[in-house]
Amino acid sequence: MGFHIVKRDSCPLWKKALLYVIAVLAALVLGGVLLLAMGVDPLAYYSRMFTMGMVGNKIAYKAFENYLKVFVPLALTSVALSLAFKMRFWNIGGEGQFIMGSIAAATVALKLGPVLPSAITLILMCLAAMLAAGIYGAFVAVLKVKFGTNETLMTLMLNYVALYVLMFLGDRKADWNFFLQEQSARPVFQSFADLASFPKIMFGKFGLNICVILTFLVGTLVFVYLKYTKHGYEISVVGDSAGTAHYAGMKVNAIVLRTVFLSACLIGLAAAFKVGTAGVLSTAITDDVGWTGIIVAWLSQLNTAVIFVVSALISMLHYGSVAAAATFSKVDSSFANMLQGVILFLVFTAEFFIRFRVVRNKKGGKQ
Amino acid sequence: MEMDKLGVITTFIHNIVVYNIPLLYGTVGEIVVEKSGSLNLGVEGIMAVGAIFGYIVGCYTNSMLVGILTAFAMGALMGLLFAALTVSLQANQNITGLTLTTFGLGMYFFVGNAIKAVRWPIMSDYSSIKNGFADIAIPGLSQIPVVGKGLFSHNILVYLGIVIALCMWYYLNRTTPGLRLRAVGENPGSADSVGINVKRTKYLHICLGCGIMGIGGYYMGLNMSGSFSSACWINGYGWIAVALVIFANWNPIMAILGTFVFGFFNTLRVSGSSLAVAFPETLGWLAAVPTQLYQALPFIITAIVLVVTSVRKREGSGLPAALGLNYFREER
Repeated sequence: MGFHIVKRDSCPLWKKALLYVIAVLAALVLGGVLLLAMGVDPLAYYSRMFTMGMVGNKIAYKAFENYLKVFVPLALTSVALSLAFKMRFWNIGGEGQFIMGSIAAATVALKLGPVLPSAITLILMCLAAMLAAGIYGAFVAVLKVKFGTNETLMTLMLNYVALYVLMFLGDRKADWNFFLQEQSARPVFQSFADLASFPKIMFGKFGLNICVILTFLVGTLVFVYLKYTKHGYEISVVGDSAGTAHYAGMKVNAIVLRTVFLSACLIGLAAAFKVGTAGVLSTAITDDVGWTGIIVAWLSQLNTAVIFVVSALISMLHYGSVAAAATFSKVDSSFANMLQGVILFLVFTAEFFIRFRVVRNKKGGKQ
Repeated sequence: MEMDKLGVITTFIHNIVVYNIPLLYGTVGEIVVEKSGSLNLGVEGIMAVGAIFGYIVGCYTNSMLVGILTAFAMGALMGLLFAALTVSLQANQNITGLTLTTFGLGMYFFVGNAIKAVRWPIMSDYSSIKNGFADIAIPGLSQIPVVGKGLFSHNILVYLGIVIALCMWYYLNRTTPGLRLRAVGENPGSADSVGINVKRTKYLHICLGCGIMGIGGYYMGLNMSGSFSSACWINGYGWIAVALVIFANWNPIMAILGTFVFGFFNTLRVSGSSLAVAFPETLGWLAAVPTQLYQALPFIITAIVLVVTSVRKREGSGLPAALGLNYFREER
C-alpha cells in the first residue's frame, strides 16, 4: 500500500484561505508552546507583539510612525521583486540594488542638497536611486539573456559586492569621501536630514510620511500594470513558458531586460524613500528588506494587493517583537525571525495541499 | 629579526588554514547537496544552528566528539526540513533556503540568548573541549622550516575537514552511489527511469551535506572560543561557501584549493598589516588596501567565474543540470 500525489486542477478560494489561516495559526501555536516552555505567557506576549507596544503608550503615534518606516521599504521592495519573480527571474539581489540606490540617493542629497530646493533634491534622489539600482539589476539580466548566466547566484554575489562598497564608504576617511562627517575623527556618515527629508502630513501629533502614500500609489500602478497592460500580459506569458512567449512572437529578451530593470528601479525607489526618511546612510540601511522582501513576495503568491497585507503583518512581527522584548526580557527579538521561518514552512505545507492531492494507490495497481 | 619575519609568514600560513577550514565544511556540504540537484541557500543558517547546539551540548557533556556529532545531527535536521519542504512538498528551493537562513539565525540568537540568561558555558572551563581543539603536529612534516608549522600543525577539525573533502571527492567520482547521486542532479527523470530512488537519494544527500555544514559551524564557534555576542559566529561564511562551490566547480578537491585562495584574502584582511610591518619595503603597500576589498574579493571572483563559465559554455562544468528544479514524477 502506498500513496502518490497528483496535481489539483483547482482549489476553491475559501479552502485556500482556510488552509493559509490554519498554517499561520499553527505557527503561532508552535511559537506559543516555545514561549510557555520559557515561562512566558504566550497570550500576553502576542498581544504585546501585535499591538506593537502601542496600547497604554503615551507616544503611540510615534510608535506607529516608526512602524510605517519599517513597512514602506519592505512593501515597495516586495512589490518590486514580485515583478521579476513573475517571470521566474530569480532576483535575489534586492539587498545589493537597495544599497546602490541608497548610495546614489545620498550622493544627490549631499552634493545637490545644499544648492537646490528640498523638493527638487528629493525628486532627483528618487531618480538617481532608481537609475543606479536599475542598472545594477539590469546588468545581471543582460548577462542572463546574452550568456545564460545563472541569475540567482549572480545577484547573490552582487549583493555582497554592494555591501562592501557601502562599508568601504562608511569606513575610509579621505578628502574625496563626502559621505563622512568632516569634523569627526572617527568615520561617521554625514547626515543630510536638514537638506532633504520627505515631508509629513500632520494629523494632530501623528505625521504621515508622504512616502507611505507614494508607496500605495506605486503599488496600485504596479497592480494595474500587471493586470491590465500589454506589458503585464507579456510578463505572465514569459513566466509561464519562455518557449510559448517566443513562439507567440514576443521579444522575450527585451521583456526580461525591461522588467528586471523596472523591478530593480522600484527597489531603488524604496531605497530613496528609506534614505530620504532616515536622513543619513548606514551600513545596515537595507534592514534586510532585500531578503525579507523575497519571502513576503512569495508568501503573497506575487499578488500585489496581498503583498501589502503580508508586508504589513511581517513588519508588525519584526517591529512588534522588538517592542515586546522591552517588556519580556526573556524573549529575544530574534523570536520574530524564528516565527517568520515557521510561518513560511507551514504556509509551504498548506500550499502543497492546495496544489496537490494525496491519493492512495489502488490495490493491484502499479506500485 | 630574520626569525621574526619568518615567524610572521608562518603565522600567516597557519591563519589561512585555521580561520578558513570552516569554509571548506560549508562548501563540501553544499557540493553534496547541490549534486543532488538542490540549490540550498540556507548554508548560513544551517551552520549557525550546528554551531550553537554543537557548542552548548559539547560543553555540557565536556566532549568534543559529542559536540561534533550534535552539530552534524542538527545540521542534518535542518537538511531534513529543507528536503521535506522541497522534495516532498515541492516548495521553491530558493525561498526555502533563504527562509532556512532567517530561521537558523533566529534560532541561533534565541537559543544563545536563552542559555546566556541562565549560564553561558565558557570554553576554557571544559578541559576536553579546550584540549581537543589544541593543535596536533604531524610528526616529520611539521618540522619543515616556515611552512611546516603553518600547514601541518593544526587542530583535529582541520584534519577532519580535509579528510571529509577527500572522501566526498572519492564518493562522488569513484563509487556507484556517487554516480547515482550525480545522475539525479543532472536529470532526475532519467535517473528515475533506470530505477534510482530519486526521493531517497535527495533526502539522504541533503541531510548528509547539511550535517557537514553543521560541523563547520561548530568549528567556527570553537574558533571564537565560544564567546557569544551580538555578531553571529558564522559571520557570512555560509554565503562565501555558496560562492566557493561555484569557484570550485562542484569539485571537493578544488574546494580545498579554493578555501586556500579565499582564505588567503580573508587572512590578508586580518593580518595584512602585520605583513606590511614585517616587510615594509616589499609589502608596505598592503597597509593601504581597504579591508572591504578583501571581503568583497571572494564574491567578485565568483561573479567573474560565473560569467566566464557561462560565456564559454565550457565542457566539464560541474554545475548539475537540474540544479534548483524540483522533481515531480507525474510531470516527467
